[in-house]
Amino acid sequence: MPEWTEPVARYVIEQGLVNTLKLSAIALVGSALIGITFGTLLTIRFLPMRAVIRLYIEVWRGLPILVTIFIIFFALPAISASFRFDALTAGAIGLILWGSAQVAEATRGAVGSIPREQHEAASALGFGWVGRHAFVILPQALRRLLPPMVGLLVNIIQNTTIVQVIGAPELLETAERQVERLTFEGEEHAIEIYGAIMVIFFVISFPLTRLAAYLEKRLT
Amino acid sequence: MTWLLALGFLESIWDFVQENGAELAEGLKNTLKVSAIAMAGAFVVGLVLGAARAHRVPVISQLAAVYVEVIRNTPILVQIFMLYYALPQFGIRLDAFTVAWLSVTIWGGAFNTENFRAGFEAVPVRYREAGAALGFRGVSTFLNVTLPIGGRIALPSSINTYISVVKNTSLMYVIAYPELTTVALQINALTLETTETFTVLAVTYLVIVWSLSAVIRLLESHLALPEEAK
Repeated sequence: MPEWTEPVARYVIEQGLVNTLKLSAIALVGSALIGITFGTLLTIRFLPMRAVIRLYIEVWRGLPILVTIFIIFFALPAISASFRFDALTAGAIGLILWGSAQVAEATRGAVGSIPREQHEAASALGFGWVGRHAFVILPQALRRLLPPMVGLLVNIIQNTTIVQVIGAPELLETAERQVERLTFEGEEHAIEIYGAIMVIFFVISFPLTRLAAYLEKRLT
Repeated sequence: MTWLLALGFLESIWDFVQENGAELAEGLKNTLKVSAIAMAGAFVVGLVLGAARAHRVPVISQLAAVYVEVIRNTPILVQIFMLYYALPQFGIRLDAFTVAWLSVTIWGGAFNTENFRAGFEAVPVRYREAGAALGFRGVSTFLNVTLPIGGRIALPSSINTYISVVKNTSLMYVIAYPELTTVALQINALTLETTETFTVLAVTYLVIVWSLSAVIRLLESHLALPEEAK
């Protein structure tokens, strides 16, 4: 191994990889919690609430994540100083807005696919709306939700790189800093470093893509 | 009171658009140009490689599989960095416009290969057998049987890919290609009219993406397979 690799690898892994994984985990959990709640609420025939959730989904799915993150990072502080976030937090919020919209749409489909008899049986057992959904409908819907959720995780992991544009020290940003440092010192290693970043992402994502495909196949 | 505030905001948006409209229109034009090239490119790449995958054409099929997996499992932003910031190390210097359309074409092509492969493979074997029984050869069977049916099965998923292609053109901000997002951020840096800039930027993207999905949904119902063919 050439001499330049060790400090680069140390920085990219200890800073970048750790932040990428942290950001992915937070974005996944946040997207799942908000998305499953909104998606379930979307199956209630109460028009105003449906309209609001629909708008939420269409807006955050329609905007490029980059634009969403810019809005949170640049435009919100212009409205009120209390909406000032550091880059990683702004990135996490942006990813959660986008991810929860995806999950909500998938949940609506999954909850809707549970036969009506299940609702009726749960009601006959004395469950109210919340108990019926929490203990009977959602546990069944989650099975159907698992493959798209794994697929979403892959997308979230890829999309964490977008926070690079606001300088959050995830994998791509740390890699860029190292490339620039080496260039400044008169060495060019962009191919090797960005190539290594691609390999890291591939090694994480490929098994998950396979897992999603396997889960999808097992379900049908 | 509230509606007065809303009216004031609308007025400031109107002023903002009048002052910066020309530049924004230029950015929008570039966004649409890159999107159009990439959609057409992704369609061709997906069609050819998807057909090769579905028919297991030796060598091409395996190479296409590697291409699809590499592109789908690495972030597009890193791919853009590779093309723009890393390739010059090998003496290959691409300008921002080339990287802009090329990167989204490569990305969209990979997803479309998978969409078309799935579509073509969903065409029942007996249809192809019927084609063969009617005297069609390999390529004619593909053009007359597999493509019209499988292409329509692949339509919904490939549409999602095209919409993602449009949204991904915003990433060309990192290579300073003057598309909509880049232009908007430049205007923001000059005018400091942050609320107006991002309202206009977000609304423009939503109008593009929403009208694209509306047009496409229309097309979809127009091209939908008759029930018995499914």
